[in-house]
Amino acid sequence: MTATDGGLALGGAGAADPAGGAGGSRVTARSRALPLRMVLALAKAEAWLLVRSMLVLAGLVAGGLLIWLLLHPVQPLWWNAAWEIGAGQFAVAIAVLVAAQLAAGRADRDGMVDLYASFPATAGNRTIAHLTGLAGAVPASLLLLGAAAAVVDLRGAIGTPSSAVLAGGLLLVIAAGAAGIAIGRRFPHPMAGLIGALALFLSSTLFQGGSIWLLPWEIKHDDLSELPGPLAGYPPAGAHAAELASIAVLGGVVALLVTVNRGRARVGLATACILAVAVIGLAGAAQLRPIPTTELNHLMAEVADPASAQRCTTADQVRYCLYPGFGRDLPSLEAPVNGVLAHLPARPDQLLTIRQFVPIDFTQPALIDPTLTHGHPKRQIDQWYAQLQKAPFANAAASAIYLPVGQWPAAGAPLADAHFALALGAAEWAVHLPPTTSSRSGFQSCVAVDQAREAIAIWLAILATHPPAGQLQDGLHSPRSSHAIQATWVRNTLIPIWVYPRARYLASSGPPITAAGYMLAKGMTNLPEQKVARVLKGNWGRWVNWRTTDAQLAAALGIPTPSLRAVLRTLHPRGAGPTAPPPSNEQSPLCTT
Amino acid sequence: MTPPSTDIARAEGATPAPGRPIRHARRHRLAWLRALPLLARHITRTMPWVTLLVGCLAGTIYLTIMAHVAGTSHTPLGQSSVRLAFLSAVAALAFVPRAWFRPVTQATPVPAWVAPVGHILLAAPVLAVTCWTQLRLMAHTIPPDPPGYAPAIYPLIAQLTGWCLLAVAAAACADRSRYADLGGAIAAPVSFAALALAWYAPVTARFLVEPPATTRGVTIAWYAIATAALALTCAVMRDHWHRYTRDRHRLSSPTAAHLLK
Repeated sequence: MTATDGGLALGGAGAADPAGGAGGSRVTARSRALPLRMVLALAKAEAWLLVRSMLVLAGLVAGGLLIWLLLHPVQPLWWNAAWEIGAGQFAVAIAVLVAAQLAAGRADRDGMVDLYASFPATAGNRTIAHLTGLAGAVPASLLLLGAAAAVVDLRGAIGTPSSAVLAGGLLLVIAAGAAGIAIGRRFPHPMAGLIGALALFLSSTLFQGGSIWLLPWEIKHDDLSELPGPLAGYPPAGAHAAELASIAVLGGVVALLVTVNRGRARVGLATACILAVAVIGLAGAAQLRPIPTTELNHLMAEVADPASAQRCTTADQVRYCLYPGFGRDLPSLEAPVNGVLAHLPARPDQLLTIRQFVPIDFTQPALIDPTLTHGHPKRQIDQWYAQLQKAPFANAAASAIYLPVGQWPAAGAPLADAHFALALGAAEWAVHLPPTTSSRSGFQSCVAVDQAREAIAIWLAILATHPPAGQLQDGLHSPRSSHAIQATWVRNTLIPIWVYPRARYLASSGPPITAAGYMLAKGMTNLPEQKVARVLKGNWGRWVNWRTTDAQLAAALGIPTPSLRAVLRTLHPRGAGPTAPPPSNEQSPLCTT
Repeated sequence: MTPPSTDIARAEGATPAPGRPIRHARRHRLAWLRALPLLARHITRTMPWVTLLVGCLAGTIYLTIMAHVAGTSHTPLGQSSVRLAFLSAVAALAFVPRAWFRPVTQATPVPAWVAPVGHILLAAPVLAVTCWTQLRLMAHTIPPDPPGYAPAIYPLIAQLTGWCLLAVAAAACADRSRYADLGGAIAAPVSFAALALAWYAPVTARFLVEPPATTRGVTIAWYAIATAALALTCAVMRDHWHRYTRDRHRLSSPTAAHLLK
């Protein structure tokens, strides 16, 4: 008895000859049921092989790592996180493609064709079993999806996950597996699977502009993490799911077409193939549709006029303006600012505004993800650009701190860094230094050389957030080398700069901090807090004056003026390069306000 | 086929035949070198040319398309595109060092590693031509007077050399494992995983990725990796034994214990 005796069996190139002529009238119920049972048994075996495939397990690990790398530096926002989880599924999909190709090509590899042809299962049945066995890849995909979703949720993600986007990741894994089987049935050499995986990986770099959405596995070109909320049609998740499902069907049909040689079956498969291609075309057309104008109008209004969308809260002369949904960040923002305010002898008259803004640079069209405005008339796009020129950060105020949407970390060391960055911004406002400098808005990045208020600002920020001393000390070195420092020219003098991690969390930091200012602040932290507070409170107006020097503050505190010589002896300035100063218009100005 | 010797080799324990010269048939260690001319044809014929050429051509075709896209969008190709395009050649190289019928070849006077090494040597010029072609394609998209300095090529060559030798080492290791029949299908993903880890892990990226590493540092680091990979390949290829892991629990089962008694 062979599998081809049954009516359900698909004749294949590798099928054994039917025993006994296989007349339809003589087929018994048992023989009819046998191919189905055989396919199911084979599918079970193939699924189990896929479940324990080292490649799939490695893909699972790689997918998890990829998701972690993509998500851990940014704020967990569901409209971005669901897409990044799909990026992790892409790694699983590549592994499944290779594993499925190896499995499907097993019979034709290493001269095993005759052996497999002698088995009861036909090539067609084996292909169906391989396709059904793709269920073995589903646990890995679901495990990755569930674990990633749980982690994102535990980190306090904002928004709600899109089931269509998450389902797209699962469909991507199945589609890649079906493609691997199709490749393996035609090209059994293992290299074919690797080429297929590389083609899948590299294909996303071939398309540009709006057509990038034709590849649902595209993982790079998007600004989702910087949007204040989900945007309908960005990405086109429903069409993506439809396209991936159709690709899975197409892969399966092609795999069967390669192996089945019966005329009627081939006609049916060809019809299914055409239908799948048609659905892919329709899904592609749906993906190329531009994002609805109303949605983009809403987004542009949110960016250009945040006050219309943001909710503001004022407390202790500080105004916090956040987009809807980001209200849960408020306590995390207030903590470092309140820490600074608690140590202030006197507060400035001017209100400090801490405001979120969308960091996509809409004023430079070349920097925008083209899929955002794809398909819209140029006049409409120009109108949006003109509208965005009024965006708050483009006209940044000196007494405001701008927080890029999606950059505020959830926990851990990045949150501690962000707290210090915000505390320093608030402290700079408190000592009358601009907490924000933006070259675009005309604020020049001045340097508070030999000004006591700079050291006071650093001291306040350190008191408010208590960052690790080692990390602060590392700010003296260049991030490129532990034996170099950064420096800038001010009034023909090379000034060493203290660098610390705040640029990632604030849209624009305040003036560059001098290394001398940091050294003095470090000396201040070694003194009793009450002693420093008493000295500052005694003559606050004098200390925040830009003419008061580091030496004067050090003398008042009874500590020696910090010397940079010890530091500079082991380091060499980096960035300034030449020993001769550049022209005065290329040097940083002194902060004199 | 080795021609029959006129001398009679003295087997251990055998008595010498009377009237015949007795010479100890100690074969010179490098006697197998005489068989190399005969082996050259065999090595050339068993070389996986199709796999290698498909891998090299696939990357080059991809880069050609990218160069066309770059030409229409007036955006020059960068070294990252060459790196991506070269991945398929690296994948193909992972299928090259394969010792077919090792149990048989190990029994012959010629060392088993001669054929894989011959294959690798044959693959080297193909890879060099591929690299040169891809670099030419990249250079073709760069305008004659680019603003600023063009990045140096020699770190990229060092990097690609390191990638190739890593893939060869992985393939040699896979060939001595239970996955020998799949060869490159295992070695290539392992190589890619190692490369991805080296590229993205902050600890290794400090030395292997430019920036933060310097041009000279990257070059030295990748050539050091290439040397280490070459040493590993040599050690693995000279190893005579399969290194399959055995399940101790299975061995300690009653049946196994009974058999071992």
